[in-house]
Amino acid sequence: MFKKVLVANRGEIAVRIIRACRELGIETVAVYSEADRHALHVRYADEAYLLGPAPSRESYLRADKIIDVARRCGADAVHPGYGFLAEREDFAAACADAGIAFIGPKPSSIAAMGDKAEARATVIKAGVPVVPGTEDVGNMTDEELLGKASQIGFPLLIKATAGGGGKGMREVESLEDMPTLLQSARREAESAFGDGNVYLEKLLEGARHIEIQILADTHGNVLHLGERECSLQRRHQKLLEEALSSAVDDDLREKMGSVAVKAAKAVDYVNAGTIEFLLDKDKNFYFLEMNTRLQVEHPVTEMVTGIDIVKEQIRVARGRTLSYKQEDVNFNGHAIECRVNAEDPYNNFLPSTGRITHSLLPTGPGVRVDTGVYPGFEITPFYDPMIAKLIVWGETRAQAILRMRRALEEYRIVGVRTNIPFHQTMMDSHRFMGGQYDTRFVEERFSMDDAGEGKDAYAETAAILATLVAHRETERSANIVNRNERDTSNWKWVGRWERMHR
Amino acid sequence: MKYIATVEDKQFLVEIIDDKHISVDGKMYEVDFESVSGQPVYSLIVDGKSHEGYVAQGDDNWQVLLRGRLYPILVEDEREKRLRSAAGGGVAETGEFHLRAPMPGLVVTIPVEEGQQVKKGQVLLILESMKMQNELKSPRDGTIGRVRVKAGETVEQKQTLLSVI
Repeated sequence: MFKKVLVANRGEIAVRIIRACRELGIETVAVYSEADRHALHVRYADEAYLLGPAPSRESYLRADKIIDVARRCGADAVHPGYGFLAEREDFAAACADAGIAFIGPKPSSIAAMGDKAEARATVIKAGVPVVPGTEDVGNMTDEELLGKASQIGFPLLIKATAGGGGKGMREVESLEDMPTLLQSARREAESAFGDGNVYLEKLLEGARHIEIQILADTHGNVLHLGERECSLQRRHQKLLEEALSSAVDDDLREKMGSVAVKAAKAVDYVNAGTIEFLLDKDKNFYFLEMNTRLQVEHPVTEMVTGIDIVKEQIRVARGRTLSYKQEDVNFNGHAIECRVNAEDPYNNFLPSTGRITHSLLPTGPGVRVDTGVYPGFEITPFYDPMIAKLIVWGETRAQAILRMRRALEEYRIVGVRTNIPFHQTMMDSHRFMGGQYDTRFVEERFSMDDAGEGKDAYAETAAILATLVAHRETERSANIVNRNERDTSNWKWVGRWERMHR
Repeated sequence: MKYIATVEDKQFLVEIIDDKHISVDGKMYEVDFESVSGQPVYSLIVDGKSHEGYVAQGDDNWQVLLRGRLYPILVEDEREKRLRSAAGGGVAETGEFHLRAPMPGLVVTIPVEEGQQVKKGQVLLILESMKMQNELKSPRDGTIGRVRVKAGETVEQKQTLLSVI
């Protein structure tokens, strides 16, 4: 058993991992940047060490410092979470060299899947269908890419070879737009991953983004935990995820699951991973990429399978077999996750920074909140804008939607703008309720004004509230102005007051 | 005291009668209005119906968050209302528009230059914050006035970046 695990991450995922360790009786070590001294993961961990200044490049991306901390504090394993160093083979390798277990896949699997172009080549060899695109591995120049573009056909996607999370990704409608978009994609990829390489992929229209959760141990057992529906995205950032998907039936789940297992086996995969697919209208599915790490949206799978993915990760990293066999994996009910971001949905989803002055979490039956913030915490511009994940479970999809609606109403965050109103509008959307959406839905056919009925019902109440507050403010400022205007001298007034209290 | 509260395109005439009574468009209500533990969160009971809302002062209006929805509300007394209608509306269409940084961040590029004609919706500046590149767009047609920042510069929230005349 591991005695001490270092969590090389921040925010809600660091807290999530620390919780799993606590339940297993493992000591935890947090690392943090100067901006995160007061963060929840620092407060929850048994030990905490400063890495450096706020920018990730000087703190959470400093693999050398993190390994040094792990060595000095005697941690026997490192959990990388998602983002930052999670998909860096050199980090995984450096951990192994230092004699510290890396809670994740082997460096070779990260390398094979992390380079998106190489990943495509690998799975094609294993007989897994892929989206048409550039097959050549990495390092293509702009000229070469522009040449290939017309062969693939428009619209297409520029993607970062080292990518993930929609960073360094651009949609291209025509050849004329492509040079500028290539530049900005490379710039973003360079700043996010330190690697400006990109590749091209055909953009499938009307497709859904479906991913399969994989668990694999070192004894050759690979199983899948069913799919997650992640089609609701904006600028390739997932906003809302579901398990299972209303577009996938048992047969298709079986098929996609076995293809995902095949893809994982192709790179000799160990630990938790996710195979992302695009599912077109005719139920054809294509491999997109494999995420060789724990996903942000893993809780929806945990809710419907009852399997604690983080605990299984730790178990597998210790060299044990998985606690489950494929036939033990059953799906119960439906789960939805809303990513609560510090973004203003009324203002083009611009990020919002500031101090969280008030926060009231939703609770009650079937509700789970994974968060790394609390009242008084400052949302800084250094890290991603996700402040919490709100996850609900219901016996059916309809029940889950109703429960999510209730939970969103309960959730109050004051101090920064959040996208909660976006999620509420989504829960009220008929297309969403009917499960009729694809990856373009949020950007092309969804509007915050769609709220329809109900929205105006509280306009009058809101008007009353605003007026009462405004009135109170006016009265207060009037009192400040008049404070010294007493009808008699202050000495006389004090004398009267003292006599009164005798 | 009489106020006019404007919510999007709707207007409500709210009269505050005393601590416990108000009228909205002539209809009387019994209200109980409390601030929740010193926070900008208010509990309001109107004729027995309980509401909880967050009320914050915006730049020129009130922002009310009620049941998860945000209502921007302009509250004026009758004198202010008369003054404003005398001054005439439509400020956004004329005069100078100052593009301010909606959040602290790093200026990535400024795809426009001083004196350039721009269209409504055209990208004026790309600001990187929270690992995302955000496009700040022009709210109307016009000409670029002074550009006050350079690419690569770090800016504070609400700092003026450039203006559109």
